[in-house]
Amino acid sequence: MTACLLEQIKHHPGDAPALQYCQGAGEPLVSISYQQLIQTALLKRQQASKLYQQAVTLPYQHIEDFISSLLAYDGFCSALYLLPAQGADLPVDDSIETTSTDDATPSAAQHALASNWYLATSGTTGKPKWIQHSLQKLTKTVNTKATSRDLCWGLVYQPYRFAGLQVVLQSLLSGACLVDVSDGEVEQRLNVMSQAKVNALSATPSLWRQFLFSSKLAALPLQQLTLGGEIADQPLLNTLQQLFPGTQLRHIYASTEAGVAFAVTDGKAGFPRRYLEQGYYDLQLKVDQQQHLWLKGPAKYAPELANRVDSDGFLDTEDLVRLSAERVLFLGRASGVINVGGNKVHPEQVEQVILEVPGIVAARVYGKHSSILGQLVMAQIVASPATDEKELVVRVTQHCQQQLQRHQLPLKFNF
Amino acid sequence: MTTSELQQHIRNCLQQVAQIANCQLIEPVTDDTVLLQSGLDSLGFAMLVAQLDEELGFDPFSEMEIAIYPRTFAEFVGIYQQYQAKHAGG
Repeated sequence: MTACLLEQIKHHPGDAPALQYCQGAGEPLVSISYQQLIQTALLKRQQASKLYQQAVTLPYQHIEDFISSLLAYDGFCSALYLLPAQGADLPVDDSIETTSTDDATPSAAQHALASNWYLATSGTTGKPKWIQHSLQKLTKTVNTKATSRDLCWGLVYQPYRFAGLQVVLQSLLSGACLVDVSDGEVEQRLNVMSQAKVNALSATPSLWRQFLFSSKLAALPLQQLTLGGEIADQPLLNTLQQLFPGTQLRHIYASTEAGVAFAVTDGKAGFPRRYLEQGYYDLQLKVDQQQHLWLKGPAKYAPELANRVDSDGFLDTEDLVRLSAERVLFLGRASGVINVGGNKVHPEQVEQVILEVPGIVAARVYGKHSSILGQLVMAQIVASPATDEKELVVRVTQHCQQQLQRHQLPLKFNF
Repeated sequence: MTTSELQQHIRNCLQQVAQIANCQLIEPVTDDTVLLQSGLDSLGFAMLVAQLDEELGFDPFSEMEIAIYPRTFAEFVGIYQQYQAKHAGG
């Protein structure tokens, strides 16, 4: 069994900074050492002894509280549900305890247990669902070699999501420093990263492009650059290579169901075609006639994925690819899910909202390529006879603004 | 399209897109306005580039071999001028 998170970080130098964050623009950085984090976590355990072996939900409020809770409850509670900041509609079992408790009974001799971690993901129907993970699975790709201790990671993702949690765990387990820049304006985030001398950064291609609009990115002493969550295109990879020569630049291909799949470090978009014949470490890959990418890892896929696994044990990732002479290049999702800067948009959900507008009899929503955010949402509508099209566009735009999140908004309504 | 026509076209598009994307633009947007401080966020900016692609028939940012990201409004317009000339010539 993998030791719990708290056990794994106990050997780091206690006075080394574990976490830095800024409480407001222009304010000095708050720095929390490993020792302070561990103490807070132990106190939380003590005050929450009735949560031992129970499932807990961790509503996200603040990074320091969030990380000390992870340390306190992993290996102590049976399950950790990482509740998104805006995830109140997620169905959580009534029997699950929340972490706010003032029960100060000293805990008995409690044995560490393997906690299940639950992360919220947007399911295929657009409704969020819980995906179960273990600490072992979540930390499979964490690099703990001695030099990684000197890194200072910028956390640009929400820490309760898969990508953000990967950065949090990488930083904690390697004894590095984590700098919270998961929220705020681009310039402000770059200011904080510059103040903290962030030298390792993992972000979506869309976010990298936003950072590139500011001259402040080039001033960061970056040593390690990672792109993930969307398709990484060649011009962006070229720009980053030119800006940070000699650094490690990698883009990650990950499928939610298959977990982290592989990293490409040759600075080229897609991945080498030879992986299809030779595999990639313990992973086998193939492309079918419909251009879907299939993967087969060493472990069996979860039973709920059975309808996507073929007789040879390969999982259909439902990612569309194109083969060139040397590379396998990603095209997008076969299901039609639109990826707007790393945010998934389900066309059916947007279509339903559009159809609520009087005067619209049919709607089709699809993705349009965007050189800035990967994709954008477009809509084609059919109006009932004798409808004023101009006036209808105003009404449907307003309705969508009221009912949808911003990244779900169609750029254009075509008739 | 002349330079000033192109600039006006981009300005009009900027206003339209700000409305669609629900962005509050700063007034006035001048040549020196820093794009990241114009009130247009990444979604609004992506929509602007996509909308201009629909209307002008080209997207400089998909054509660049090494992506260049403009800092100010004038730099943004400059990139479109350069690519307009390229498209007219080629």
